[in-house]
Amino acid sequence: MPEVFASILTTLLAGAVTAAQVAVGAALIALVLGLGLALLTVFTRVAAVRLVIGVYVEWMRNVPALAHLFVIYFGLASVGLRLSPKAAAILGLGLVGAAILCDVFSAGMRALHVGQREAALSVGLSPWQALRCIVLPQMLRLSMPALGNYASQLIKDTSIASAIAAPEIMFYARNLVTSTFQTPLIYATAILLYASIVFPVSWAFNIAERRLGAGR
Amino acid sequence: MNAFFHVYGEYLPEWWPRLMEAARVTAELSSLGFVLALVLASLLVAMVRSRYAVLRQVANAFIQFVRAVPLLALLLALYFGLPSFGVTLSGYWAGVVGLGLQGSAYVAEVLRGGLNSVHRGQREAALAAGLSPYRVFTNIVLPQAMRVMLPPLLNCYVSLLKDSSLCALIATDELMLTARAMSSEYFLPLHIFVLVGLFYFAIAFPLSMVSRLLAKRLSRGRRALGVA
Repeated sequence: MPEVFASILTTLLAGAVTAAQVAVGAALIALVLGLGLALLTVFTRVAAVRLVIGVYVEWMRNVPALAHLFVIYFGLASVGLRLSPKAAAILGLGLVGAAILCDVFSAGMRALHVGQREAALSVGLSPWQALRCIVLPQMLRLSMPALGNYASQLIKDTSIASAIAAPEIMFYARNLVTSTFQTPLIYATAILLYASIVFPVSWAFNIAERRLGAGR
Repeated sequence: MNAFFHVYGEYLPEWWPRLMEAARVTAELSSLGFVLALVLASLLVAMVRSRYAVLRQVANAFIQFVRAVPLLALLLALYFGLPSFGVTLSGYWAGVVGLGLQGSAYVAEVLRGGLNSVHRGQREAALAAGLSPYRVFTNIVLPQAMRVMLPPLLNCYVSLLKDSSLCALIATDELMLTARAMSSEYFLPLHIFVLVGLFYFAIAFPLSMVSRLLAKRLSRGRRALGVA
């Protein structure tokens, strides 16, 4: 039994590497694009820009991630844009994450009192300095709880990439099942593996949150 | 671009009835899952608020654990793993149970937060005025907590609705699996998956909007940063 468990765990850990790559890649896209969209939607005076971003965010957030992955992996391939399963998973989860973080960051900025920015401008800071030194740090502190939730959600969502055959944890788990038939043991190991990745990450966010005094 | 929409004109009459039937299954699946989640979550919250430390710890551990596990792993374990223990669930019922378990952890957090948002003075005053503990809960605490709980509960339902798409991977004929079958029949994956996205959107978006409007009504009158 221990040998069987060890061999299951080694195989699943190989999947965990892919899962981590997908999560990190998607998180980078989500952070950069999400912050960009949030700044645009909060500060633009052009209603059309807000409308377009709003449509993007609502579409991404109200349609299952699995549907987005299928559109990107199978749909784009049918019009000649063929992505590897891993690339499609990173892009798909990244675009969904951008919508989530756009909401998180724009809510964080709107939660700040206008006086914060007005005071920064009136003591002579440039709009860029006001943003970088006054608005963004406070916004980030307010966003920490939501960022922590997003991080653990993202790690769990990498499992969906198995549906487009990206070789992550659930993909290996399903392969192992068909070759060894140790079904309950394999899925139990997979579940524990996810939990042992998600728990440290959410603890890290809790600690960071406390350090930054988000709960004041 | 025109050619893209032309395809819908041609095939929509064939696709529509199949997707409508699948949408019914999706709605049913996620609603049953949500009802199960509400029941389990009420139980969990009763445990969390109990005076016995063991019950509190068990409930909290369950909530933490379920929140750290992907729904897909749960669904595959229920569907493929349980038969080894002599319990065989169809994809549909494995889906309902999986969605219910997963949802219960999130719904429990909402219920707990909602009940905690009611100031304890409310309860104390009602008890002092002579209401029974049961009446205090149903007539004083719950109605006030409901205002806080309703928007996030709607969001929980929307999450479950989207998550129900994973039941496609355990052979439940809901929207996503129907779409996959159709895409291998018609070789039009882009059209079909965008269309099926619209089906989810048509259910999820109105609920999300209602949730947001309700939440807004609870927090009026604050000057905020930015334009409009």
